[in-house]
Amino acid sequence: MVSATAAPARSFAPATAESPAVRLVLVGLSVLFLSVFLLAPLALIFVTAFGHGIAAYFQTFTNPDTLSAIRLTLLAAAIAVPCNLVFGVAAAWAIGKFEFFGKSFLISLIDLPFSVSPVVAGLTYVLLFGAQGFFGPWLTAHDVHIIFAVPGIVLVTIFVTFPFVARELLPLVAAQGNEEEEAALTLGAGGWQTFFRVTLPNVKWALLYGVILCNARAMGEFGAVSVVSGHIRGLTDTMPLQIEVLYNDYQFVPAFALASLLALLALATLVVKSAIEWRSAKPSEALEGEAA
Amino acid sequence: MSITVRGISKRFARFAALDSVDLDVPHGRLVALLGPSGSGKTTLLRIIAGLETPDAGSVHFDGRDISDQTTRERRVGFVFQHYALFRHMTVFENVAFGLRVRPRGTRPSAQRIRERVGELLELIQLGSQAGRYPSQLSGGQRQRVALARALAVEPSVLLLDEPFGALDAKVRLELRRWLRALHDEVGVTSVFVTHDQDEALEVADQVAVMNAGRIEQVGTPDEVYHHPATPFVYNFLGNVNLFHGRVDDGVTRLVREATGHLVFIRPHALDLARQPNGANTIRAVTKHIHAAGPVVKVEAVTEWGAPVHVEIGQERLRELSLQKGDEIFITPRDVAVFADD
Repeated sequence: MVSATAAPARSFAPATAESPAVRLVLVGLSVLFLSVFLLAPLALIFVTAFGHGIAAYFQTFTNPDTLSAIRLTLLAAAIAVPCNLVFGVAAAWAIGKFEFFGKSFLISLIDLPFSVSPVVAGLTYVLLFGAQGFFGPWLTAHDVHIIFAVPGIVLVTIFVTFPFVARELLPLVAAQGNEEEEAALTLGAGGWQTFFRVTLPNVKWALLYGVILCNARAMGEFGAVSVVSGHIRGLTDTMPLQIEVLYNDYQFVPAFALASLLALLALATLVVKSAIEWRSAKPSEALEGEAA
Repeated sequence: MSITVRGISKRFARFAALDSVDLDVPHGRLVALLGPSGSGKTTLLRIIAGLETPDAGSVHFDGRDISDQTTRERRVGFVFQHYALFRHMTVFENVAFGLRVRPRGTRPSAQRIRERVGELLELIQLGSQAGRYPSQLSGGQRQRVALARALAVEPSVLLLDEPFGALDAKVRLELRRWLRALHDEVGVTSVFVTHDQDEALEVADQVAVMNAGRIEQVGTPDEVYHHPATPFVYNFLGNVNLFHGRVDDGVTRLVREATGHLVFIRPHALDLARQPNGANTIRAVTKHIHAAGPVVKVEAVTEWGAPVHVEIGQERLRELSLQKGDEIFITPRDVAVFADD
């Protein structure tokens, strides 16, 4: 008689599984590291912001300079994000769908804002549009103010956040190929119908993800904006710049209260990002099914 | 609607995909473009659809030159090898797409669209799957949806690019019979691209055999199989044995040396015997006998060392009681002779 139960009970652990002790140490180290370097500073922001009570916290947001900084940051993001949305979609479309001379150069160019220090980016704008810059005399003659004014801040924000949307879309657009668009064409759809009914729905989650990252960076950018802003209080200070100003004035509660606002933005971004990743995991399963 | 292709040429970089191709597809016919990969068959199909622009030549529908029309204006139904279904739409929405994107004036009512899509889903036997997404369907089901989607716009012609290429063997066989039946029912002029000669011969009314950017022969499946016009067609449609030969008084003799004539013989057009039978017999030795299946495949080697493939029936094998290593005599029944160039 064959007895399958006679064999001693063994746990069939996968070959790659580590012993519980090793796992505990690895997980513990990660948690410790995250706590010290990420969670503690984040908590400290809120602790300091509320250090003198809730009233003092909200007092911050009655300061006209601070309010102006919030408005300016929202304005810069409100212009930069839609611009980069359009640029990013166009660039990803052109690179992903067509073959042309200089394509790899264009891809490197899109990555440039990631590789260049934001301060350098800011400086190049000063060199281009500043009073002593390349276009300086012409701009002065026509009474156009870019550097040390709002247009400069918007321009460098667009520059610094340019890659986010394009980078998120590119691999997806390239992987999906042209077939669905060709199918739409043969079915009588026009160019815009094809774009809005076929192309866009296929990339919407990646697009949203790119927009959220782009927005977070647009609101949080410090270096490049700092160079072109000129730090005119109430006029050209964005939120990150205003935080520095307040901090240097030893106004810790207002500084951290404003910082908490940026931190909240970051947290909200994380939540939305996770939600999108969770949601877009479904279509990727579908893709695997299709490949099978 | 008939399709006429005249003098179509197309180059990709240094590679000539099509070299002055002419083709006539009569109204209501199902024509196969058959050829190995790289022969230009898919490029020709895409040019007919307007998805590629030819370097030279013209395409006509019902005698009308439509070379300058866009894909959209040509109203062709196109079925892609990898289905190209809209992955974010349900089966219903996929089939309805072509009707929904019509300009407002010619767009059917929502009610009419529902009816039309319902009819088509019944036609492809997927009425119960209307609410599913393409990723939830099998390959064969997806290709049927792609076909229904193409038919929804009542295309003037139906073009299919390797429609069964991505399917496994059994589904392929089912689906190609189903396509033939569907074509008999719908009757729309159709062109389909395939590299599978069985598929082309079984499904099509006419087969255009393509090689290296040219059409080698156009004819009914019977014509191209039994009367190949060129060595390539002979070679491509089924297995073939290649010999040197000499033609004396209408009799083709198989010889060892090159003679300037090539003789093509199908494996089933060779007779096997234990004894020499007539003058035109070559001596050989069996190397392998594959008896599994409806026909027996015998691999042999001629006295001058050339391999020969012979197909005989199971009964004949028993009559001969053939073993590996036996001496046999091969007599050709049906040969085709081409000049060797």
